[in-house]
Amino acid sequence: MIDIYPSTEAPARRLPQIPWFVMLAMGWIGFVLLVALLADVITPFSYTAMDLKYRLVAPFQTFSHPLGTDELGRDVLSRLIVSIRISLLIAFGATIISAVLGTTLGFLAAHFRGFVEQAVLMLADFQAALPFLILALSVLAFFGNSLPLLIGLMGLYGWERYARIARGLAISASAQGYATAITQLGARPTRVYLRHILPNIASTLIVSMTLVFPEVILLESGLSFLGLGVQPPMTSLGNMVGYGRDYITRAAWIMLAPSTVIVLTTLAVSLVGDWLRDKLDPTLG
Amino acid sequence: MIRFILTRVLRAVITIALVVTFAFVVLRLSGDPATIILGPEAPPDAIAAFRKSWGLDQPVWVQYLDYFAAIFRGDLGVSMRDGRPAFDLVMERIPATLALTLPALMLKLALGIPAGVYAALHQGTAFDRTVMVTAVFGFAIPSFVLALGLVLLFAVTLGWLPSGGRDTVWHALLPIITLGAGGAAALARFTRSAMLEVLGRPYIRTASAKGLPWAAVVRGHALPNAAIPTVTLVGFLVGSLIAGAVVVESVFSWPGVGRLLVVAVANRDLAVVQCILLLVAATMVASNLIVDFLYGVLDPRLRHGAVADA
Amino acid sequence: MTDLLTLDDVARAYVTRKGLLGRRSTVRAVDGVSLQVKAGETLGIVGESGSGKSTMGRIALGLERPNEGAVRFDGAPMPLAGTPEWRDARRRMQMVFQDPLAALDRRLPVLTQIIEPLAIHKIDTDPARAGLEALTAVGLSRDHGARFPHELSGGQRQRVVIARALMTAPDLLVCDEPVSALDVSIQAQVVNLLIDLQQRSGLGMMFISHDLRVVRQISTRVAVMYLGRIVEEGPAADVLRTPAHPYARALVSAAPAPGPRRTDRVILTGEPPNPAARPTGCAFHPRCPVAVARCRSEAPPLVPIASGRSAACHLITPFAKVAA
Repeated sequence: MIDIYPSTEAPARRLPQIPWFVMLAMGWIGFVLLVALLADVITPFSYTAMDLKYRLVAPFQTFSHPLGTDELGRDVLSRLIVSIRISLLIAFGATIISAVLGTTLGFLAAHFRGFVEQAVLMLADFQAALPFLILALSVLAFFGNSLPLLIGLMGLYGWERYARIARGLAISASAQGYATAITQLGARPTRVYLRHILPNIASTLIVSMTLVFPEVILLESGLSFLGLGVQPPMTSLGNMVGYGRDYITRAAWIMLAPSTVIVLTTLAVSLVGDWLRDKLDPTLG
Repeated sequence: MIRFILTRVLRAVITIALVVTFAFVVLRLSGDPATIILGPEAPPDAIAAFRKSWGLDQPVWVQYLDYFAAIFRGDLGVSMRDGRPAFDLVMERIPATLALTLPALMLKLALGIPAGVYAALHQGTAFDRTVMVTAVFGFAIPSFVLALGLVLLFAVTLGWLPSGGRDTVWHALLPIITLGAGGAAALARFTRSAMLEVLGRPYIRTASAKGLPWAAVVRGHALPNAAIPTVTLVGFLVGSLIAGAVVVESVFSWPGVGRLLVVAVANRDLAVVQCILLLVAATMVASNLIVDFLYGVLDPRLRHGAVADA
Repeated sequence: MTDLLTLDDVARAYVTRKGLLGRRSTVRAVDGVSLQVKAGETLGIVGESGSGKSTMGRIALGLERPNEGAVRFDGAPMPLAGTPEWRDARRRMQMVFQDPLAALDRRLPVLTQIIEPLAIHKIDTDPARAGLEALTAVGLSRDHGARFPHELSGGQRQRVVIARALMTAPDLLVCDEPVSALDVSIQAQVVNLLIDLQQRSGLGMMFISHDLRVVRQISTRVAVMYLGRIVEEGPAADVLRTPAHPYARALVSAAPAPGPRRTDRVILTGEPPNPAARPTGCAFHPRCPVAVARCRSEAPPLVPIASGRSAACHLITPFAKVAA
């Protein structure tokens, strides 16, 4: 037999050629993740500690406050580090909820077809018919705000994309045969979906997650910027920009630091996501 | 074709019904509006009177039907804060919002589509790469950061333009640029990939192989086909004319629907929030419906009923 | 010998609909089929595409429910697909698919897939040893077991599918065009493997194929299908040597066979069968070289024509009358 396909377990597996900007983006993501994980250790001050002697100190003026202080004398660097942690926590939590929810609904639609499928597609239409920001604002208006609610709410963002992908791929897996073949062996649907179909579509789902993740960061920071997301005394990136904006004329650094982090992080994740998509799954839109 | 339109209209109606149901369910789940509005220490007879006047003493399904009936009559409730009909409050704000979003839409279309088409036709050139890089940045920079950056530059540092309010035409400039720039980048990127996709198709190669001049191939074959997916995105942009400016209006203190929404959410003025929600959904569904009809015009396969609803 | 599998006057119709508000139309893929498979024998099912033979295979396994008629396996009615009883019954009936690459999970090494039925049915044996035995039984090595489906050849993949199907020692094996995707040189090997395995385990087999050569090699009995119905049935050697039904004659004469050039070739003309537009009367009459007026209006029943043979044709004298 002629072996056309390279073995996936070939020992001399070379690293794929990664463009420099993707490398840079991955480096930034790693750095931000590290900061979020080590937030407790590396924050020089408590993010709520006020130092009224040092109010609105500009960056690079003192060693103790390298990124300056805000209107209450709180250390911008410390607040930034904690904000990164909170924003990433929300984005990760929401992305995972959304992926799990969407994939489950997609599988249910593919498995049961008929009414269940129509209902899921209808819900997806509904989701697509409303700009998510408006939907989120309405829910927040009705339910008030808390961190779990915010994560749950963000977790509704983008589920319909996973649902569409999971449904389509599961249907084609059944039509293609391996799902039918395993069902025919007597396997329960949970085994067919979790042990066979899910690993087969995982790469597509992961690519979708990297595409949804930056959008969740933007959404959360937008809500927090409007004062309707993360509530003080807790802080997030959008929240910092929102409060910093009042001091834009006197102390622009308060909002510039978190703005830069937001832009760099969304940029980095979407660069990596685009690259992954081109590598793994060029069929995704 | 008639069946296609009927199916789409049916779907639109169902979507609207879903949104109304959603608003109702969320409203009911969010707790007792009487205690929310009057406060937990309100006297019991005041709460009872409030419930009666809002119909909250009826069974849930009666309230649900009443709710539908009221919405069909155009009765969207009264602002719980200042007592005026929510619908009037929202309508007052629409001209201000459109004053931002319509010019911004023009800007997006005028910049985004030509840039995308040109980039696709000159793939790999410096222009193409510039468009792509701008598009990626346009996605990564949230509108409030862009807005504040523009304020910092043009209002604070240079002092050329006002930073907020709605007194002169100049006040609209920064918000329009903010809205238009981000959208133009996204539209350019989308148009480019739609165009590239079409240019890779066999019929384009056939058309140019049979000796048709390239300009004619692009005009006669590539553009009409690339227009089909682009129309969907434009439809979405049109659909978000009413509520696409929530963040930007807030940054620039622009008295539009978006700012009204943010204030209403902060004050938990449910009638106003719900009115905006329904209005936005209706606009979105209507523009999706128009897009579907346009599809019928642009895509002959649909016109002849060859494609089942997907 | 008792019947392992019985199909009794089974029919399966599909309702198709164009779009959400489209017109309904009904296609009868299988239309009143009765047959039996005994333990240790192979029933070959022959027919063109669209004859309903694959649908019948799916019905035989309970993957699809017939609209009419009954399927019995080992004397008991077939449980509803998806129920625990149905899943449990999979231990005893298995399937070999046309496209082995599609039937395998491309992300798992094939040995893992071969022993998966043990986990599914909670069979208490040493999976490593059972897997190795299964590999050996289908002529593969331990080394093959560690590979992924795309690293094997078509014939090797089909051996993997067969090994997996035989893992639970089933009583019935339904093979749906198991070799038609393979090279001719490989086909014989796989067919011989199936014959070997059957002789060793004594399972009953339903072998669906459009390829008469392969069917002749493996089948004990043969049923010829045309547009959802059986038109002729009997011992494989008899039916394929002296077919009685005009359609069976045409099929046999179209298949290449060793020996002197045949002079009595029947050439099929007309449209290939389309289940959505089924002709009246005998479905074969528009293409039949010997059709008479009666064939257009009246569908012939399947009647005995000789010992152990039956056919559905107005022009063939039933067995009973000859005997009388």
